[in-house]
Amino acid sequence: MSGHAVKEFKVTWGMVIDLDKCTGCGACMTACQVENNIAPMADASNKMRTLSWMLVFELSNKKAAPDAEIAYLPRPCMQCGNPACVPVCPVVATDKNEEGGIVSQIYPRCIGCRYCMAACPYHARYFNWEDPIFPKGMEKALSPNTSARPRGVVEKCNFCHTRFMKAKDKARQEGGNPEALADGAYMPACAEVCPTGAITFGDLKNPEHKVHELAKGENAFRLLEKLGLHPQVYYVSKREWVRKLGDNYAATGHAGAEKKHS
Amino acid sequence: MGLDRRGFVKFVVGGVAGTLFTPVIWKGLDDAAIWSQNWGWIPRVPKGEVKATPALSKLCPSGCAVKVKTVGGLPFAAIGNADNPMSKGGVCPICAGGAQLLYSPARVKSPMKKVGEGKFEAIKWEDAEAMLVEKLTSFKGQDGKIAAISGDETGTANEVVSALLSGLGNASGFCVMPGEMYTATKGVKLMGGNGQPGFDIAGADLVLMIGADALDSWGPSVANQKAFAASHPTGAAATAQFIYAGPVLNNTSSVCDKFLAVPPTATAAFSLALANALINAGAVCSASDFGDYKALAAKYTPEAFEKATGLKAEALKDLVARIKAAKAPLVIAGASFGQGAGALDFVAGASLNVLLGRVGQSGGMTLLPAAPKALAAATDRAEAKDAGSFLAQVATGKASPAVLLVYEANPAFALPQADAMAKALGNIAFKVSFSTYMDETATLADLILPAPHPYERFDDAMNPYGVAKPTYLAGKPAMAKPVMDVKDPVDVLLAAGSKLGLSLGFETYADVIKAKAQAVGADFDTLASGGAWTGEGKGGGLSLGAAALAKAPVAKADDKAVALAPVTKLACGTADLATPPANLLTIRDTELKGKDLFVQMNAATAKKLGVTDGNKVKLTGGSGEVRARVHVNEGVAADTVAMLLGFGHSAWDQYTKGKGDNVYKILTVSDEAGTGLKVWAGSTVTVAKI
Repeated sequence: MSGHAVKEFKVTWGMVIDLDKCTGCGACMTACQVENNIAPMADASNKMRTLSWMLVFELSNKKAAPDAEIAYLPRPCMQCGNPACVPVCPVVATDKNEEGGIVSQIYPRCIGCRYCMAACPYHARYFNWEDPIFPKGMEKALSPNTSARPRGVVEKCNFCHTRFMKAKDKARQEGGNPEALADGAYMPACAEVCPTGAITFGDLKNPEHKVHELAKGENAFRLLEKLGLHPQVYYVSKREWVRKLGDNYAATGHAGAEKKHS
Repeated sequence: MGLDRRGFVKFVVGGVAGTLFTPVIWKGLDDAAIWSQNWGWIPRVPKGEVKATPALSKLCPSGCAVKVKTVGGLPFAAIGNADNPMSKGGVCPICAGGAQLLYSPARVKSPMKKVGEGKFEAIKWEDAEAMLVEKLTSFKGQDGKIAAISGDETGTANEVVSALLSGLGNASGFCVMPGEMYTATKGVKLMGGNGQPGFDIAGADLVLMIGADALDSWGPSVANQKAFAASHPTGAAATAQFIYAGPVLNNTSSVCDKFLAVPPTATAAFSLALANALINAGAVCSASDFGDYKALAAKYTPEAFEKATGLKAEALKDLVARIKAAKAPLVIAGASFGQGAGALDFVAGASLNVLLGRVGQSGGMTLLPAAPKALAAATDRAEAKDAGSFLAQVATGKASPAVLLVYEANPAFALPQADAMAKALGNIAFKVSFSTYMDETATLADLILPAPHPYERFDDAMNPYGVAKPTYLAGKPAMAKPVMDVKDPVDVLLAAGSKLGLSLGFETYADVIKAKAQAVGADFDTLASGGAWTGEGKGGGLSLGAAALAKAPVAKADDKAVALAPVTKLACGTADLATPPANLLTIRDTELKGKDLFVQMNAATAKKLGVTDGNKVKLTGGSGEVRARVHVNEGVAADTVAMLLGFGHSAWDQYTKGKGDNVYKILTVSDEAGTGLKVWAGSTVTVAKI
């Protein structure tokens, strides 16, 4: 609970991720790593040190065979409407003040204190323990869209913000309205490559964007909704056990119920 | 007049207050923050025009139709090609990280010759090609002395390699790495048909996948995923059911409407028990061997089903009800890791399509006629030898080639009983590896000829296994020049052939592909611009394969052994590609931790084996053993242990070398009764705590 009010924007970029369509193939993680210039790590099994702006979790219904079921849950930054990370940052290196509602992360300003990491209940923030070391030559395959970050700063998903800026530029050049982009005109790398189309991206407030209706579906939910952070990432699953897990059902007792925080 | 205490305090306070009103300190802090992160060793992002160029990315087995994003002419990312029916905008996890593989530390940078055990020396292309020609000249015309192993299932390069062998008097020396295309095509023959089987997933309203990991590593996985996605619209009712029957709750089964845990040793029994239940529920067909088939299937009673699979008979009953309610059911049979299943496992599954009248129907199983060849002298794709059998003959001295050409394959790592296969390679005096990467086979080779990355070459893909219709894709380089000193293997072989006096009719692979496109009836320029050519799949009067199935072996119970289910996850790599650098994050720490690979099993199996979560164990099977740690996973079938393939590399790079163990080592090869095919999908292992 951040204790701050939800920031409202005319445009609110968000995702609806269909967990019944995510096969956990990992294409979104790979595309994210490529787009955001995350250097490969010699020991990527050390999950305390890896940088996974997009991370696909494996969920289990915890039942014994043959009733066992699993589901995969891709977790980008939730771009919360009322982010827990923003008010704790002592140097205003992270903020939510731009039309679109994307939570920014300004690397040169970050002092690496990691308060934001402690505050984020979604574990969406990562600390750079190492400088970005690419194998010799691989720096030629860096994406032009994201600067490489040095060690000592915190980083996270920003819905591929450069793509947002480019989409607005394109709209301006073509005489369109950069504040009312068409559905699909701006698309983060993960949503773009997903082979099952599990990730739908768009403006949650624009009725012409698919996410507008999908986010209101009967099986839509947000992670840890009871915390009142108002994530801009929604999930969909017809499987009740998945919805219960996503909603931290054990803590509230009511899956999908309207949450109020104190 | 001196500075008293009061004056000093005033001066200091005034000074501090003053600096707060100047921008100097704030600007200085801002600059310090920026410049303290602006070190020379932090790579700078490239600048230049961003473009997207269509390409055929054959990093994954079926090949992805992608658009390569370049900045200043250099690739940095790959996205799906929305205009190509095989991609529809999707891309697999391997091809999504294809640009980074251009600069993999494992890339072979120039031709090399062996100068000692594990030692290589860079040489010029002229010298390398001269060495190749010299060796081929020495053994030209001596049958059995020159052989080739290809790891490319779909390329016309195979026609060039096999035609060259034929011209050198070694027509029977062309071998291919294991894949389902070959066993399935043989299975079709056992059913009285001809052609490569195809599966119209997009048109079916019930897809039963028996073993086939169709939504991750089997067949044209992106096209399959797109078909699945179309039938499962977000926020609306699904229009098709997907059911997975296999040994592990894998990526495919995680989104299926139903998962049936079937041990890998019980695949055929599962199919025939389903056939029996369907027949008992009224299914009939006009196939001439229906009577024999019915009598054979009758042995697979619900009780036999329970015994073989560990599932309850109710699961079978439920499955029959679902199939009967479906208008367009489709059965896909395959090994859960894309190889090693026998033709009879395929026949048992495919016969269900015949029984249900689904062959040649929309949403059913189809047969793809053999594609026209670009080189008349080439071996028919289905007639190639399997590399495992060939190397087994080399090991025992039944075959004694003097020269082996290895094209885009890694037989020293990715054949069952891998250690024995690598040893057999040692019996061949001169080995040439045409490889993009320094893999295990390249490290054993005498001459390494670096092959281009898919973005640097012309290549094509004819009928990737699983497509419902004849399909042809082709691509051209997506960048102006290669980043390493490489030559296309086909160009090298065509030039060698020319020097040996064998004119194959072409000078470059690009010419071969253009001729292939013409033979198929496709327009090369359209294909190279990201298009695809498709023909029509056919039906054909298939039998139920009863005569062949009567020879199907009955799995023998062995109390000490458990079934081994190797698992393929595309993101972890393929038979000829170790986990790419951009995919490392996708490996879970319950799959690989540090250097330890995990073996997965359910709690009941763990209890039976006397092991618990985290225990270190040794698995023994075939002619080898592997070490792993136990991870209890309720998604594994009864009396089965599952392990990821693609680890335990002894070559490659710092990201993959020495990580985990190679499961290929413990696969047991046996002869399939009735067909003589080498099979290893039903391998068993013993597990001991260490």
